[in-house]
Amino acid sequence: MKSKFFKNIAFTAIALTVAFGSISMANIADAASKLSGKIVINGSSALLPLTLQAANEFKKLNPKVKISASAAGSVTGPQAVRKGIADIGACDWDASLDVPGFKKFDGQVANKVAVIPFAAVTNSNVKVANLSTKQLQDIFSGKVKNWKEVGGSDAEIVVVNRAFGSGTRVNFQMKALDGADFMTKGDNYKEVKSSGDMKTAIETTPNSIGYMDLVYVTSKMTALKINDIAPTEANVINGKYKVWSYGYYMTKGQPTGATKAFIEYVQSKAFQNGSLKKLKFIPISAMKN
Amino acid sequence: MLQTPPPSPVSNGVELGSSLKSSSGQAFDRKKRLSFYNRSFKVICIASAIFVCLILFTILFFMGRTGILTFDTVSPFTFFFSSEWAPENDQYGAFIFIFGTFALTFLTMLISVPLSVIIAVFLAEMTPTWLKTMLRPVMDLLVGIPSVVYGFLGMTILIPLLRDLTGTSMGDGLLAAAIVLTIMVLPTISRITDDAIVAVPKKYRDASYALGSTRFQTIVRVVLPAAKSGIMYAVILGMGRAIGETMAVVMVIGNTPQLADELFKPTSVLTSNIVMQISNVPFDSSWNYALYMMGFLLLIISLVMIVLVRLIQRKGVKS
Repeated sequence: MKSKFFKNIAFTAIALTVAFGSISMANIADAASKLSGKIVINGSSALLPLTLQAANEFKKLNPKVKISASAAGSVTGPQAVRKGIADIGACDWDASLDVPGFKKFDGQVANKVAVIPFAAVTNSNVKVANLSTKQLQDIFSGKVKNWKEVGGSDAEIVVVNRAFGSGTRVNFQMKALDGADFMTKGDNYKEVKSSGDMKTAIETTPNSIGYMDLVYVTSKMTALKINDIAPTEANVINGKYKVWSYGYYMTKGQPTGATKAFIEYVQSKAFQNGSLKKLKFIPISAMKN
Repeated sequence: MLQTPPPSPVSNGVELGSSLKSSSGQAFDRKKRLSFYNRSFKVICIASAIFVCLILFTILFFMGRTGILTFDTVSPFTFFFSSEWAPENDQYGAFIFIFGTFALTFLTMLISVPLSVIIAVFLAEMTPTWLKTMLRPVMDLLVGIPSVVYGFLGMTILIPLLRDLTGTSMGDGLLAAAIVLTIMVLPTISRITDDAIVAVPKKYRDASYALGSTRFQTIVRVVLPAAKSGIMYAVILGMGRAIGETMAVVMVIGNTPQLADELFKPTSVLTSNIVMQISNVPFDSSWNYALYMMGFLLLIISLVMIVLVRLIQRKGVKS
């Protein structure tokens, strides 16, 4: 109830700053050397660490540019861009195309900024180390209910899923399950709100299976091989491991001005091979397609 | 509150003003200044009161206005009585969550009310004074613990424990949530019940003992009935807290849109479903409106409870 009220206030505040920002940007656009303006970034929380790091570095190079970044869910990114609230909408999928559950956002351009690998994970008590795409589909749709059916011990499978709307869920469904549907109910099925909750659930629930960004995987769980391919950075880069996606910055049309410069900075070799790698994302230039 | 206080003999405005009138002129004499302060203070008080009411009504208005848009695409009957919640397929039946909220609250009250009343009786009737002065602050501190702490402990300690004790493979569900909520509302209910029992006049007990009843009979037949309205008040406050609780519940309930027909089946309630989905919802969609409608429902439920509390209080004063 409060959020609506605050949202309205926040929206007007952001709208005002964007308006003023664009005015000042137009004034100084001629003086190309001194870039200035205001960039508002909203969207995916998975990409937020990357955005914040890039914003800090970019502000040092261009002191006159103001960047404000915040995150909620993936879908809020392209939405905010469509409404004109944000200049950049960070999104875990290409929002200019249809994905399961979400319609495409017309007129938006997807700018690739990073490669995000995902892994299917189980509690460390599960004795299964490898699953095929078919087996994953059967488990996440609820057809296979016991670990012994896929070569494990006789125990019921506990499926942990992200809530509908999660970017990780969209990507896992498209890349690991080939678009097959998730189960929606069952005695041993639950949904969690965030990657952090997923981590806790998998670590503490015996016989559980779930999925998350590769960077969240800890030693207290098992990252499964999918079709005999281990989820490692090397396997993503050499193209064997298929369960990864690009992280995108959505913009309204082709980016211009400070927004363009910022996206170019994030895509630059210096940033991609430096800070981006340190944050455990994979540079987009590493992919050979 | 809004009337100016009657002039007292000591600080009569007229007298003070005229006796201390400054020599420099009429404009800023003390009398005028005082009356200006008094009047502006009154205005500020009224404005603050209006502001609070305004907040309440804007919240109600915004929630209601956005929520009501749900019914453009979903019929009220489907919303309230269908148990199919699948935003990806445009199915918005909130019955599971409404049922879940009431079932969870009922279960919580079933566990917490008897426990709280026993604790309160112990505190008010049997504890020596030194223990009382220690226990009461402890209870008050418990009320102030943030709910996310309860939720986190529930997820990391209670659920594995339930799994071991019952042999279920998950442990998430109504029972886990009810236990966490019980621990949360226990201090609230027992402290207020405690106050209600202490407020029962000593003469009731004396009369009861004089008639030859035992301590147990006195407590059960005389003291508790006399404190009835206070206990009801405590229970409703506890219910209010249980219904609106979000963070603790979302961590232990399993968040699956299915009807809670077993104690250990992952399910979802109004609050947990809103917090799970609101950050991923497209702005202008029936899905968004349905979530607002669920929030509006919660608001209405808690308003009804506050009205009930007021009614009970008034009745308590009369008797």
